[in-house]
Amino acid sequence: MKRWIVAAMLGLGAQAGAQTLDGKAVFAANCAACHQATGAGIPGAFPALKGNRFVQGDPDAVITTVLMGRGGMPTFAESIDDAQLAQVISYIRQGWGNQAEPVSPQAVQAVRHKVNASEVLRPDAPANAH
Amino acid sequence: MPNQLNDSLFAPSGPSRRHFLAKAMAVGGSGLLLANMKAWGMDLASTRDAPPAMQGRVKGKTVVILGAGLAGMTAAYEMSKLGYTCKLIEARAFAGGRCQTARRGKQFEELGGEAQLCEFDKGQYINMGPWRIPFNHRSTLHYTSEFGVPLELFNNDNDAAYVYNDNAKGALAGRRLRMFEIKADMRGYVDELLAKSLKGGLMDQQITADDKTLLIDYLVSEGYLSKKDLSYRGTDGRGFKVNPGAGMSPGPGVPSDPLAFSDLLQSKLGHIYKSVHEFKQQATMLQPVGGMDQIAKGFEKRVGKMIRYNTEVTSLRNLPDKVEVQVKDLRTGVASVISADFCLCTIPLSVLRQVDTDFSDKFKTALQAAAYAPVAKIGLQMGRRFWEEDDGIYGGHVYTDTKGINLISLPSGNWQGKKGTLLGFYTFGADAAAMSARSNRERIEYALAAGEKIFPGQYRSAFESAFSVAWHRVKYNLGGWATWSEEARAKAYPVLVEGEGRTLLAGEHMSYLGGWQAGAIESSWQQIERIHQRLSA
Repeated sequence: MKRWIVAAMLGLGAQAGAQTLDGKAVFAANCAACHQATGAGIPGAFPALKGNRFVQGDPDAVITTVLMGRGGMPTFAESIDDAQLAQVISYIRQGWGNQAEPVSPQAVQAVRHKVNASEVLRPDAPANAH
Repeated sequence: MPNQLNDSLFAPSGPSRRHFLAKAMAVGGSGLLLANMKAWGMDLASTRDAPPAMQGRVKGKTVVILGAGLAGMTAAYEMSKLGYTCKLIEARAFAGGRCQTARRGKQFEELGGEAQLCEFDKGQYINMGPWRIPFNHRSTLHYTSEFGVPLELFNNDNDAAYVYNDNAKGALAGRRLRMFEIKADMRGYVDELLAKSLKGGLMDQQITADDKTLLIDYLVSEGYLSKKDLSYRGTDGRGFKVNPGAGMSPGPGVPSDPLAFSDLLQSKLGHIYKSVHEFKQQATMLQPVGGMDQIAKGFEKRVGKMIRYNTEVTSLRNLPDKVEVQVKDLRTGVASVISADFCLCTIPLSVLRQVDTDFSDKFKTALQAAAYAPVAKIGLQMGRRFWEEDDGIYGGHVYTDTKGINLISLPSGNWQGKKGTLLGFYTFGADAAAMSARSNRERIEYALAAGEKIFPGQYRSAFESAFSVAWHRVKYNLGGWATWSEEARAKAYPVLVEGEGRTLLAGEHMSYLGGWQAGAIESSWQQIERIHQRLSA
């Protein structure tokens, strides 16, 4: 429910600037450990997002990667809601000199549905592995 | 009384059984071996319990082994026995791979992170990677036995440990409970409901009259129900308000009241246990006394002379008659080429896919298919074992839904010692990615804040020193372990297991025991047998 409210608020009146600011915070909390705050990544380990053609390309492909994970990158489908995913994906498409259209929560929601990604849910039991 | 003869004649495990199996193999071949194993019910075990029985004596053959983790060292240890020259290449200054234990003096730095120096007291440690051995991982236990690594029980299931879910729905949100309260009440109420439904004839279509009586008996026993009215009203196993003791007071003690069934259901806390433990999450586990790296050191003691430390692999070439591995000495920067008849590559796929190789496109595509799990852990040295002293919790895990914590695990060793080092979080996936974005200081603060909620007045005040690791940011690992989608397991995994040219892959990633030392060892056993077949043919 909360997701819908946030999405609706964004759709109605949020400034692009505010979105970028929140996107930066989401990025710092979830992505920067590997891709680094500078977007430069770490060569040989984590790809740079700055100047990255894929990141600035087909928005649905970028959304799919963030939702489903790839390689060493986990799925963020279960931990970040559509509004925040839209903010952070818009941030990486426009930060560090990148120039691509932002994405909307609706676009994220559509891809989530299409690729059958999980919802943002709290697990019923803690994981215990290895 | 099945297998009475076998049971009386042979020890259930250890050298005598292996000795017998070897004899059975020699006399009757693998058919007889299998028949004997089945007679013992051993075919139920999915894991191998001994290295492959490789025959012959080899001269003048060289195997280059990339990575001196458990898979690599297993290969070097077993193949050198046959006469192979084994060249182990290790990027780090020490062996063991992910089998690392942090104790006083350990230096460590994550990619993009800060330097850490472990300042635990002498005798305190945290296992950074593997930390427990299920009893059914016979391959790992084969080497602890062979190397004489002392083991102790690892308590993987403690009913006295707490469960604390801040975000549970309903009355139990943020309420600290013991596991035995949840189990007793959930099962008691479910059994009561079922027993009463049966008694009331609601299930007469599903069950015969005789079975119904037997089932009601079972439910009464399983759930501690009243025989008179089939109701659950609590049981002593869920704890007392006042524990029983001597004389008149406390005397019999004061029983505790069960939680409300509806509260339990709403909280979903019943999801925390299952009818039986998963195959890999047995209650009975073991750990080497003093740290998991005792296993790595056991291998290193035996194969250390074959290891070239501080040596990074820069390229791999599969030639028709040999393998060429280009390496760089990290201390001198000097590059050199190592030639061998065969290569066993145990480099994690997360790292290998970034190495310059001449594998086919098909093989390279397969290398991309495995995902590597972000995993983060923190060890917290506590100046006082309050969980034992105050709460009576000896080992096991405290479970919590606090994001990024998952569980707090209490040490299974040095019981009643002066100090103790617990695992302050053990977290995976996106939560681990988020945890690793925090500085060391922030990770500590996060862990302490969560622990203080569960152990108020005890946790923060006892804290002395911390050491954390986020495996996805560890150079030469880039992840805790390989994970496979169904599709990747079906398509890419077989390609990688098959290997290419004169190179085979081994490691936990080449097994269905992913992330376990047993997976690394058994994968190595499987692949060295194939290499031996190829080179001794």
